[in-house]
Amino acid sequence: MSANWESGVAEVAGALLTVQDLSVGFLTEQGLVRAVEGVSFDLEPGQTLGVVGESGSGKSVTAKALMNLLPSYAQVGGTVNFDGRDVFAMAASREKHFWGVEMTMVFQDPMTSLNPVKKIGEQLAESLRVHLGRSRRDALVEAGDLLEQVGIPEPGKRLNQYPHELSGGLRQRVVIAMALACGPRLLIADEPTTALDVTVQKHILDLLDYLRRTRNMAMILITHDLGVVKGRADEVMVMYAGHTMEEAPTTTLFDEMRHPYTEALLETIPRIDTPSHTRLVPIPGRPPEVIDVLDGCPFAPRCRYSIARCLTDQPGLTSHGAGHLCACHAPVGTPSGTEARAANESAGTTAAGLDMDQFTRQVPVADLGQSGAEG
Amino acid sequence: MTYLMRRLAFMFAVLVAVTFLAFSATNVIGDPLFNVVGFYASVDCDAVIAGEIEDVIGTVAGTGIGECERVIEAREKYHLDDSLPVRYGHWIVGMAQGDFGESYANQMPVSSILAERLPKSILLMGVSMVVALGVSIPWGVAAAYRANQRFDRASTAGAFGLLSIPGFALAIILFYFFVVRWQIFPSRYMDDNIFSRLHSLVLPAASLGLPLAVVYQRLLRTDLITTLQEDFVIMAKAKGLSDRRIMFRHVLRPSMFGMITVVGLNMSALIGGTIIIESIFSIPGFGRELYVSAIRDDITVVLAGVTVLATAFVAINTAVDLLYSYLDPRVRRAG
Amino acid sequence: MPADTNEHTTSSSRTAKYWRKESHVNVAHAARMAEPAAEPDADRAVPRRLGVTFWVAIGWVALVTGAAVAAPLLPIADPDQIGIGPRSSGPNWDQWFGTDTVGRDMFSRTIWGARVSLMVGFFSIVAGFLVGGMMGVVSGYRRGWIDLVLGFVTYVMLSFPTLVLFLLVILLFGQGLWIVTAALSIVVIPSVSRLARAITIAFAEREFVAAARLLGATNRRVMAREILPNVLIPMSALLLLGLGLTIVAEGGLAFLGLSVADGFSWGKMIQLGAGLRTLQTAPWVAFFPIGAMFLTVLSLNLAGDQLRRYFDVRELGIGGR
Repeated sequence: MSANWESGVAEVAGALLTVQDLSVGFLTEQGLVRAVEGVSFDLEPGQTLGVVGESGSGKSVTAKALMNLLPSYAQVGGTVNFDGRDVFAMAASREKHFWGVEMTMVFQDPMTSLNPVKKIGEQLAESLRVHLGRSRRDALVEAGDLLEQVGIPEPGKRLNQYPHELSGGLRQRVVIAMALACGPRLLIADEPTTALDVTVQKHILDLLDYLRRTRNMAMILITHDLGVVKGRADEVMVMYAGHTMEEAPTTTLFDEMRHPYTEALLETIPRIDTPSHTRLVPIPGRPPEVIDVLDGCPFAPRCRYSIARCLTDQPGLTSHGAGHLCACHAPVGTPSGTEARAANESAGTTAAGLDMDQFTRQVPVADLGQSGAEG
Repeated sequence: MTYLMRRLAFMFAVLVAVTFLAFSATNVIGDPLFNVVGFYASVDCDAVIAGEIEDVIGTVAGTGIGECERVIEAREKYHLDDSLPVRYGHWIVGMAQGDFGESYANQMPVSSILAERLPKSILLMGVSMVVALGVSIPWGVAAAYRANQRFDRASTAGAFGLLSIPGFALAIILFYFFVVRWQIFPSRYMDDNIFSRLHSLVLPAASLGLPLAVVYQRLLRTDLITTLQEDFVIMAKAKGLSDRRIMFRHVLRPSMFGMITVVGLNMSALIGGTIIIESIFSIPGFGRELYVSAIRDDITVVLAGVTVLATAFVAINTAVDLLYSYLDPRVRRAG
Repeated sequence: MPADTNEHTTSSSRTAKYWRKESHVNVAHAARMAEPAAEPDADRAVPRRLGVTFWVAIGWVALVTGAAVAAPLLPIADPDQIGIGPRSSGPNWDQWFGTDTVGRDMFSRTIWGARVSLMVGFFSIVAGFLVGGMMGVVSGYRRGWIDLVLGFVTYVMLSFPTLVLFLLVILLFGQGLWIVTAALSIVVIPSVSRLARAITIAFAEREFVAAARLLGATNRRVMAREILPNVLIPMSALLLLGLGLTIVAEGGLAFLGLSVADGFSWGKMIQLGAGLRTLQTAPWVAFFPIGAMFLTVLSLNLAGDQLRRYFDVRELGIGGR
């Protein structure tokens, strides 16, 4: 990430993917639902970007915008450049050999991602035949190789099987193999492990990491779980209600987070070293529906740091160091932020009316060997 | 294999039930004997032959008890003295050997009537089916592809219109314009060669096939739209496959179930429609023959017709079931 | 088979209303609303309510029905009176629909023809739904041997060529109004029974039925109070569509001379007008009854379809006629 936002430089030398001011809206009966608003980021070859957010934060829609998978009633704005090529222009001109070749995607549910009435081998071979012009026999041989690369045992046998004959973890590996078939330079993984067992999750994530490194493939890893991106992503982008809240290299994000939302997200992750019977800290409230223009910061109603300004001025992204951006009026760890929080805590409420006492009520019960009945 | 066996056994049971019902019904209507020998049936011929009663009616061609002998001959030939189940048995045995008996009306063997007329009806139904599928599949695909946009809306309106016209009315409308006014097609069936036959069948096949096409198209469209919402379609798009490839190689096959079921079930409608269409367009097919025979109580023909039609219906539905298991491998494992 | 995605739309629109009250709506719901599950729309999410089409269609049906019922009271000509006007004359100010080949008033005949068409159509579909519905519900709920027996009976009824069935019934019992109606309802029953059975099976597996049984409800009670209401709603939506089908069926039968002997329906009128000569000289004799039947059936189809979408009944092909 070496963009210089203040000067608004559009394209950065060396970056594989440049997204600038991406916005996606859906026209519905109730009005325009702004699913993504003003999202920008860069991706270098071989890098992993983690995109984190709750459901409805716009992370999947962003991915779909990049992959030209949005329905016809979606309104898309901004620019996306892949290796110097204008992605939206390619979409308009129905470019045939870009998606699925240079840029591919893996989805959340492997069961429904595969065509139930077609054999695995056939589905795998399809990209090879359509995009790379392989013959049927060659394609099937290559498909077998791909299955081996993703760690599926007995690849030859699998080629003749149907999706419902495989377990969830194997199916997801097949889906990954399908995405890798044509040697893409960018792989987008949208919650690739959410539908899988916990033990399998780690294997899949490790596999993705391994593939990325051996193929020098860039990756966008979309998840709602901050824990997933730690140690696996080079940069992390936190999204909320369609907006980018914070963007930073991973270690910076975890060590020096600036956005209250990021901080709250981190606190929701149960940690192994907290004493037992510590109540988990959820983020109260729910994400808003973003219809029509929003006044102020979208996170304000649920934010512990919100001040009056948060309700009227939408914060823009400001720099907090090398490659570290944050959109907040009272960021964590800054004087204004600390002040705001202290003020809210003593007042018992925030500018947005959030009850601050619910946080202080959480007293970790020391591990005294009591059968602490927490209500 | 056992699945096939079970289906065949079921088929057989249904056919037995249908034919027995038809047989019983036809033998209750009036007196079959009457159909053959006319009002001589009311004469007590056993007594006449035994000499106990005078042959009141008189003789035919000089033979005194000739009429009664004819009656007795008929009674034996058609087993009319036996009980219903026995007669049914005789009939089944004969049918298995290809003998459907003789038409009461003109003494011709029914099997020859079948041989002569059935092919024409089958040709008509076949062409109608081709029309129906040939129209409905592309139409359904085109409508589902841009669902709820202009083409789809227009075609839904058109579909409603066509659905609301009964087959025979459509036939008359087509007949009026294409035969009476513009004289493009002949007013009766031209049997000279295969081309004239097909030419004569254009309007009848359209009258039969188009209403069916509309029904099939709507079903196909609905199922296509549902399948298009599936995740694997998005995945296929993410693979960069063209819309056309996705539609025809991934979406069409799994979406055809609803349509195929109805194709099977609609056989009765197709067959019933054939009878009407044959009447309007003067096609000498089996449908018309069946109708005419039923009107004049020609039971053997009616029974043969019922058997043929019911067999066709059951056979097609069984074929449809087997087709299911081919199209959907998940069913294959279960069945 | 694709899962039933209609449930998502219903629950999310219900949830959406709730959220809007609190001015809090989950964006995920919003996104799902933006991508309607049942039928994708080019511009926006599809609303579900009875529109203008529905009311116009119902209006026409009401008009025709009203005219048919009130026929004896209306100031129109005697439909059977020969020579009321010049033979085979086209529509004019005296005879709005012209006259037929023996000079009868076509307008009046069209209205009177509606009586038989609608009566036979209506009563046969209602009877068919009642009997078929009951058969289907019992079949679907009790399963076991009842289901097998009824299933077999249904299949036999379906396999029996419709016209032949009709011919047999008529030859046995004559061509009275109620005979014809009964015969037609027999034709309707198997399809309705299948439909009712499918719906019943879908519902019988739901929890509230199990709950009722646990509470000690007898089979009959469960069928009547839990299953039946849930079956009636989708089926009544299909009633209008079914009525369209029976009217057409009666028309076809009348065309072949197999319908009610005493009196005439639209089908019979069409038959009278369908001869080659008549079509050449007086095509309106056939086309007015065709038009009347077409408009009526079209209205029934449109209204029925709107109703079906409103109650969210999946399109299950009612095969056979």
